[in-house]
Amino acid sequence: MIALYTLMEGVIAFFLIAGSIFALIGSLGLARMKDFYMRLHGPSKISTLGVGCVLLASIAYFSLLNGGPSLQELLITIFLFITAPVSAHLLSKSALHQKLPRDPRTRGNPEELQEDDDETTLEEAPQGSSKLP
Amino acid sequence: MSLLLIVLLPLLGSLLPSLSSNQRRHQCALLTAAMPLIALLVTLRETPGVIAGEVPRLAFSWVPALGLDLALRLDGLSLLFVLLILGIGLLIILYARHYLSEADNMPRFYAYLMLFMTSMLGIVMADNLILLWMFWELTSLSSFLLIGFWSHQSAARKGARMALAVTGMGGLALLAGLILIGQIVGTFDMQTVLDSRDVILADPRYLPALLLILLGAFTKSAQFPFQFWLPQAMAAPTPVSAFLHSATMVKAGVFLLARLHPALAGSQEWLYLVSLTGLVTMLYGAYFALIKLDLKTILAYSTVSHLGLITMLFGLNSQMAVVAGLFHILNHATFKAALFMTAGIVDHECGTRDIRKLKGLWRYMPMTTALAAITAASMAGFPLLNGFLSKEMMLAETLETPLLGGLAWLIPVLATIGSILAAAYSLRYVRNTFFDGKPRELEKTPHEASFPMRLPVLVLAIVCIIIGLFPAFSATGILTTAADAALTMPAPELHLSIWHGFNLPLLMSAIALIGGFMVYVLRQHLFTFHRQFPSRNSLAIFEGAVQRLVRFTQWGIDTLENGSLQRYMLWVVISALAVSGMSLMGIETLKGELAVQKADPLLIVGAAITCFAGLATAFLHRRRLISLIMLSVVGLMASLAFARFSAPDLALTQLAVEVVTVILLMLALFFLPQKTPKESSASRIVRDVLLAAGFGGVVASLNYALLTRPLNSISDYFLEHSVSGGGGHNVVNVILVDFRGFDTLGEITVLCIAGIGIYKLLNRLRLFMPSSDSEGRPWSPDRYPMILASVSQSLLPMALLVSVFIFLRGHNAPGGGFIAGLVTAVALILMYIAHGVEWAQQRLSFQYQPIAVSGVAIATLTGVGSWAFGYPFLTSAFGHFHIPLIGDVELATAMLFDLGVYLTVVGATLMILANLGKVTTSHRPSKQKEKA
Amino acid sequence: MLDFALKISVALFAIAIVLNLYRVAVGPSLPDRILALDTMYVNSIALIVLFGIWLGHRTYFEAALLIAMLGFVSTVAVCKYLLRGDIIE
Repeated sequence: MIALYTLMEGVIAFFLIAGSIFALIGSLGLARMKDFYMRLHGPSKISTLGVGCVLLASIAYFSLLNGGPSLQELLITIFLFITAPVSAHLLSKSALHQKLPRDPRTRGNPEELQEDDDETTLEEAPQGSSKLP
Repeated sequence: MSLLLIVLLPLLGSLLPSLSSNQRRHQCALLTAAMPLIALLVTLRETPGVIAGEVPRLAFSWVPALGLDLALRLDGLSLLFVLLILGIGLLIILYARHYLSEADNMPRFYAYLMLFMTSMLGIVMADNLILLWMFWELTSLSSFLLIGFWSHQSAARKGARMALAVTGMGGLALLAGLILIGQIVGTFDMQTVLDSRDVILADPRYLPALLLILLGAFTKSAQFPFQFWLPQAMAAPTPVSAFLHSATMVKAGVFLLARLHPALAGSQEWLYLVSLTGLVTMLYGAYFALIKLDLKTILAYSTVSHLGLITMLFGLNSQMAVVAGLFHILNHATFKAALFMTAGIVDHECGTRDIRKLKGLWRYMPMTTALAAITAASMAGFPLLNGFLSKEMMLAETLETPLLGGLAWLIPVLATIGSILAAAYSLRYVRNTFFDGKPRELEKTPHEASFPMRLPVLVLAIVCIIIGLFPAFSATGILTTAADAALTMPAPELHLSIWHGFNLPLLMSAIALIGGFMVYVLRQHLFTFHRQFPSRNSLAIFEGAVQRLVRFTQWGIDTLENGSLQRYMLWVVISALAVSGMSLMGIETLKGELAVQKADPLLIVGAAITCFAGLATAFLHRRRLISLIMLSVVGLMASLAFARFSAPDLALTQLAVEVVTVILLMLALFFLPQKTPKESSASRIVRDVLLAAGFGGVVASLNYALLTRPLNSISDYFLEHSVSGGGGHNVVNVILVDFRGFDTLGEITVLCIAGIGIYKLLNRLRLFMPSSDSEGRPWSPDRYPMILASVSQSLLPMALLVSVFIFLRGHNAPGGGFIAGLVTAVALILMYIAHGVEWAQQRLSFQYQPIAVSGVAIATLTGVGSWAFGYPFLTSAFGHFHIPLIGDVELATAMLFDLGVYLTVVGATLMILANLGKVTTSHRPSKQKEKA
Repeated sequence: MLDFALKISVALFAIAIVLNLYRVAVGPSLPDRILALDTMYVNSIALIVLFGIWLGHRTYFEAALLIAMLGFVSTVAVCKYLLRGDIIE
């Protein structure tokens, strides 16, 4: 039993350290990268992974503590893993909408960022504005 | 018990007319008349006893802390008035039945009338000063309704408003005066007050109390200089004038003088104030009654004059004068009510009350003419009628008054002049209306009024004649009893008779009649003379004064409440600073005896982040969105701090509120101007920085001082009793739903009301919607991003599951109805954001208002439910249950209460957010329409 | 061992949050700041879970769950505002 505890403690510690390093790297990327499109990568992937690791550690820890599987944290994990891509998608959408500047090294050339596409947006803009009764 | 019946039956009667419809007018009048008729019979049954000297009294304790008892009495004075009110009231009901036209809402009229009758009965029977005042104010209110009954007429509205303003003001003065009297005597009990004249007169507070009470009485009885409202109140329907302005409402003032006569009269102040006011009013009213052209206005001024006469009599400090005053109250009520009714008949049949157009009506309405002539003769003081008797008594009393000392002869002279004028206007009223040529310019051909309409007048005229012919037989008994009550001693021996032999009063009466005739003949000269005065319209003057007052108060409001949020905050912050700064200066050292907790690096980092984000929020306030993001950082840090210091409930609440606030602000930001306003001036920045720094400093010091002192708080009690008393392990939740459930109930009620208020405000609101963001970019064409839409839809069940989880565990673990409600609301709002209002409304096809309201209802009913088991409001019951799969659960009725909280929060939040979101939807082309 | 790992972990997450705050403050664009705030929410979840492990108690589970849920909604709302101005239409 003691061996199992020691082993589990090691596993939990590993997940904790790994998770926090991932999160730090993600946040570092957010702080250090050149343009928004690069910065988006860090938090949306690595940070989520980091928190996922911490949650795994928590599951392991409380399972150990209660002497049975304790899966409540799984709910948080599922939540995070579902929502993170959606947030990232919306953020990139708004970045493209705002035509944020790109670093030359950022790859890809989405049509939103091409200069000559102004004519499509105007007519579909929300109506009713500035011509109120 | 019968005393209570006399008051309560008419009150019940005010509900009865509404049972009938406007079409069934006969039934309506009968229903209305039933209750006062029974009350009159009850009174008549009591009458022999009262006349024999009994004073039935009845008292229930009502609000002992205010000295307010439901105490009634029926002494002689009350009896006289009760008989007048009920008797004339019944005649008025009959008269109004035929007076009101098809267009008038008869049940409403009768309901008001009965309400008025109740309050009037209350005044005359009250055996407690505060109770008397309460009924006094009720007469002001109900007379407002009655005078303004034809609310489509501007004159009626203005007249009603004026009457309410004047009598209401007087009522407040009266309350102040009565409270003073109550303090002097030590009780509000009527009998004790009446018995303590010596104490009252000796007290230094006597004069202010007297002045205030007289102010109340004089405004009500239209004494100079408050006489102006009565003529304006003539815009009322004639039955109202006949009832209120002859027999009852205006008599309340003189009744008060009579009622409090034993307690207040006898002093020099009373003598001069009351009798001179009465004298002036009598002359003033009589003069204008002679001048005016409108029948009802003439009668109104004559009422003013007669009230002045009665007031003067009560002021003379003579016992016989009081008897004369009471006698004149009775007589005036009979002939003036009858005269008003004849004026009403003339108005009804001719369509006008202008005395210049009316002439020679005797050809068309002989019966009415006869009745008007009899009652007007009584008013003039013609022998063999009741008016003559009391007027002669009045003249006799003026001869004996010590008033004005060496100039005492002036009083009878002036009284005689008043009588001359009275005779003149009475003659003018009858001759100009019913005789003297033929009518001209009438809209319709007049004809005799129907018999039922004339019947009340006939009854009153007969009463006039009976009292006039057989005064000793008809009036002595009741008058003596009434005077007993008004004097608290046996009244002087009363010898009412028509013939006292040749004496000075008789001579004065004769002079009055002959002089009246002469004045009438020579009246054209008087009118010519009167035309030299600039005409003044009291209504215009009053309205002008009101307008000036309104402008002044508006100016005050505009200056203090200029709509600037900064200014309000400034005052709030300054006063908070002053209060807490003062108490901080009161303690010796800031640091208490407790040691300071060690700060670990994590805490320091957290504090630094919070400070930084807080400062950034303030500095970046012009870039609203960034400032808002900074604010979110502060909120997040706050909830982390709550978590760190073991307050998970607070952390949860903070988070949920934070997000709802962000959504709300995002919704609001859309409508705000895109360009932020100019930077504040330098001096303002200095002021704000100083104030903010000072406030922060004081709050921080306060916290520091509190945290370093051992605090003996109530929390130990809660911790101890949470499980045993509330059946829950989460103390915070148990406090919210059990120990302090009543507070929570109040709070959710406020939340619900606020939600409904916002819903109402947003209804049909149309706002400017910007077509591009602050940098001029048009909005993205993608309304509902597909990924968001599909994912958030799949998240909904999970989110709802979470909220149910938080709700169910709330009683024992962090959570509860409030947080669960916010979570549900946020989850549903996400649907609105992702799919739009149209989509969400198709699926959430229910209104939010009923949800919020039913939440409050459930919480209230849970509280009420404990009554059924004999426990106080909101006592909770709980038990321990084992439910398969879920495990052991403590179920408490507090859960039901929490369900109410949950529903209210969901309903109110969605009501606010979804409706704010909907503001734009109504004038945006819908998706379906676009496709079509 | 676990104690030590916890301390390291908390410290690293704290640094991560400070880095996020740097991005929130510096920007330069609004999506940058929103992204940083969102990351801050995520890192806070980890911090709260770490508190829980530290105390050996599940009291903070709900708090972490709510941050995960509500942080997302708040990010969505702000993004929708940037895109459309009107977040509920």
